[in-house]
Amino acid sequence: MRHVVDARGSFCPGPITELIKTYRKAQVGDEIELLATDPAAKSDVAAWAAKSGNEIVEMKEEQGYIRMIIRVSSKSK
Amino acid sequence: MNMTRIAIVGGGTGGTILANALSRKLGEEIREGLVEVVVFERSDSHVYQPGNIDIAFRGADPAGFRRPPSNLLRRGVKLVQKAVSSIDLDNRALKYNEGEKMDYDYLVAATGSVATPELVPGLAEASLNFHKTQEDSRKIWEALSRFKRGRIVILTALPHKCPPSPVEAVFLVDELMRKRGVRRDVEIVYASPYTRAYPAHGIADVVEPEMENRDITLRSLFNIDYVDPSARKVFSLEGEELQYDLLIAIPPHRGADVVINSGIGGEEGWIPTDRHTLNIKGYDDAYAIGDATDIPISKSGVVAHLEAITAAESIASQIEGTGRVYLYNGRINCPLEMGGKRAVFVSGTYTKQPERQPPSLTKYFMKRLFNRLYWTMLRGSLEPIFNAYLGSPYEVKHRG
Repeated sequence: MRHVVDARGSFCPGPITELIKTYRKAQVGDEIELLATDPAAKSDVAAWAAKSGNEIVEMKEEQGYIRMIIRVSSKSK
Repeated sequence: MNMTRIAIVGGGTGGTILANALSRKLGEEIREGLVEVVVFERSDSHVYQPGNIDIAFRGADPAGFRRPPSNLLRRGVKLVQKAVSSIDLDNRALKYNEGEKMDYDYLVAATGSVATPELVPGLAEASLNFHKTQEDSRKIWEALSRFKRGRIVILTALPHKCPPSPVEAVFLVDELMRKRGVRRDVEIVYASPYTRAYPAHGIADVVEPEMENRDITLRSLFNIDYVDPSARKVFSLEGEELQYDLLIAIPPHRGADVVINSGIGGEEGWIPTDRHTLNIKGYDDAYAIGDATDIPISKSGVVAHLEAITAAESIASQIEGTGRVYLYNGRINCPLEMGGKRAVFVSGTYTKQPERQPPSLTKYFMKRLFNRLYWTMLRGSLEPIFNAYLGSPYEVKHRG
């Protein structure tokens, strides 16, 4: 299943908030497509994925925003 | 001529400011019976929620931070102290008081958010919090006053209102333990769901060195999954665990029951809202403001305030047929207290991030002053001062 999270225009508390909200409900194997304009989202999402053991499938600069696709490959419980 | 009714569901910061702003703008129409402004608020006590910080971490008297809603509304605003049970956006009607129905011409949902520790297994049992009631906040003060040795964990769950509040709690716990002379025997840990101590980089850059200076441990990217109260351990979605002796949590929030029960905001109850017009998506006669919306902006009193001002302008414009549309620019301006009588202001808009700034005594006193001015602000008399210093919270466009 693909979950689309449009966090464009959000600085505070930031796209990572929207990502984690979606991750909480997602199942292993799902993909989360996160759209963000905050450049800090790239490093935030990369750090979170590394720590939580999830996989970034794509991180791409589109016109005026960043598209990130995260595959849910780990859930702690 | 028919009367135009504006129904405001919720008499918190946003609902009260909006009602008072409308009563100023449409005073003549209200006096002539052409417009009616109705606020639904079932509580008999309007609580100044930032006061919970003072109750929890300074032992302040809760009575100083609450007043009856009827004392806060301008003449001409009708207050109905009953709960709204459902909102029917398609038929412009709401139900209240267990079955009574009221039709409206314009609706504003100012229904707020609800701190819900029950959403996380074990959290309600294991933790104290200052995001629900004054009584809950008082319990934190009592626990901290007794605490002499061990680890205090302050933890943030998403989503929640008032982004500065967790960090303020951390600094004020540190300050209190130092004042009590027990800081050497108390470990303070802040578990942040973000990659840093504060979601905005510029503010995190100020907060994190201060935490380090005060020997406060930061555990970043710790998103709570569940708590085991018997083992006194919190577990994160990222697979980590954290032992505690005292757990102070900012619980996850959800939207109001009336929003969820009316099928407006999905299972979490956040109302789909246009971030600029503040219309509930698909309805030009219905607005949502403050914590109730799904707009990706901080849930805070200042946002509720500025959205209320913007929505009031738009509704008055619709009624008067001026053709003007008021577009919220996402302005925020939230004080963040850092202990030691110093504070910063988290200021920004939809297009401008909060910037790094040195903490200052002046900003601390501005925050303290605002605690006193809050009740005056609700009536709208301070708007010219806010606008002069901070700029307008909206842009104006013409329809069509």
